[in-house]
Amino acid sequence: MRHVAIIGTGQTDYASNRSDASQPELVREAAKAAIADAGLRPQQIDAVLISNMELFEGRALPELWLGEAAFAAGKPCLKVATGGTSGTSACISGFHQVASGLFDVVLVVGLEKHSEGQTQTGMALTDPFWDRAVAAGALGNFALSISQYMAERGVTERQAAMVAVKARRNAARNPHAHLKMPALTVDEVLASRPLAHPIRLLDMCPQSDGACAIVIAAEKPARRLCPRPAWVKASATRHEQPYIGDIDRRLVTMRTLRDAARGVYERAGIRDPLHDFDVAEIYEPVSYAELAWYEALGFCREGEAGRLIEDGVTAMDGELPVNPSGGVLSSNPVGASGVIRVAEAALQIHGRGGERQVEGVRTALVTGYGVYAWADVVVLGAQP
Amino acid sequence: MNEAILVPIEMAATWRYASGAAMERFCDGLRERRIEALRCGVCRRSYLPPRPICGNCHAPLSEWVSVADEGRLEAWTVLQVPMLDARTGSIREAPYGMGLIRLDGADTTINHYLAESDPARLAIGLRVRAVWRPEPRGAMDDIVHFEVLR
Repeated sequence: MRHVAIIGTGQTDYASNRSDASQPELVREAAKAAIADAGLRPQQIDAVLISNMELFEGRALPELWLGEAAFAAGKPCLKVATGGTSGTSACISGFHQVASGLFDVVLVVGLEKHSEGQTQTGMALTDPFWDRAVAAGALGNFALSISQYMAERGVTERQAAMVAVKARRNAARNPHAHLKMPALTVDEVLASRPLAHPIRLLDMCPQSDGACAIVIAAEKPARRLCPRPAWVKASATRHEQPYIGDIDRRLVTMRTLRDAARGVYERAGIRDPLHDFDVAEIYEPVSYAELAWYEALGFCREGEAGRLIEDGVTAMDGELPVNPSGGVLSSNPVGASGVIRVAEAALQIHGRGGERQVEGVRTALVTGYGVYAWADVVVLGAQP
Repeated sequence: MNEAILVPIEMAATWRYASGAAMERFCDGLRERRIEALRCGVCRRSYLPPRPICGNCHAPLSEWVSVADEGRLEAWTVLQVPMLDARTGSIREAPYGMGLIRLDGADTTINHYLAESDPARLAIGLRVRAVWRPEPRGAMDDIVHFEVLR
């Protein structure tokens, strides 16, 4: 297997409605920016991966409509669509394509434009015999799992609100972010509209329009083109059984994320995640999930996630800043969200995070999360 | 810059899906208010919904077990915003309760509506029982919701 690095990133601005640009225009903006950031021209891209949940926009073949905008005409091009993990899985597919020697330079572009679709309908178009009759969407299903997580781990609504505050305050330093709220308080989160007990409006991710792209390169072009490549140390993806009821207390157990992290940590030489990582970009579609991920990712012992957020351990000036970008809680174009996690972690290693840069990042953690329990984990490093 | 042109598209369409043998037997049972799960001979887990293969053991499933229409509430929430009912396409008005219910005899849980929508009266561990529609039609929504047994 060859060494692989991320050498360029490109992002559009994220907002609830980008009717100023068509879907292909958003894709082209992100793709063009990533290719320029890598010091390349479009004809030097060997292959393209597109990440998009096509039913959210209600149109088939996004790779057809969007592919040309991603400079894919005449090149190998694939689409990845696995819910929230679409973006991280597309990036991991690109890592594999380059690591295997199949291609030297691969472009990954993720897009979602929720304002043009029916996300709730798209989410509901699952198994017609079982889930649809009692569909509660992502919101209700999260709320169900959160009731179990709170009961077992003693996490409080206030601790979850602290996650929501951290995300939106971090987002204020990210020029691309959708929800920038530099003065948001815990009390404001707790006073926001109840959606599904105990989830409130500000506990939940938004639906955003936008696109994000990265350029992945083999060792030779990476060293030639990029002063500080973000090397892929290890990556893994895990799926689950099909129904939420198949998974025992999913936020507590989260076997997919735990398994993926265990394998990736071993290959990347991570022994103490809280100390060994300098920054993390994790996929937290709801405030409570971030707390559950702290435990599943080994940042703390079981039941200590609430203390971690209270003590500021994961704040920008803490021991392990989690989501300097503002995370999914601040920007969520689903097909792009996983690519954003990878791009933001790579930016931190490139040392080009601007106002959201964490000092001296050498090792970064990325996660993706999809549907009930799918999980992706990636470790990036300053050395191959 | 000119105003963006936004093209509205509306579509009414019909899809038909084959159930497979396991789900067919399950749906036939619902018509008689009978709930049956399939048990894995390897890990002994009994699955709702029933399916041909255990996803963990990859073993074919053929041992049908009877499941009660009563069970334990394993997780709960109260929806406070209207949500889409994916089967009818209509909106379900809030508030309404939802739960993950482990029916007696099943190892997996099922998600379903609860008759109770007051968060102060819901808790993990409560006993709940299915309320059936008067004339079941052979689908999961033959169970209208689950009522809390107090």
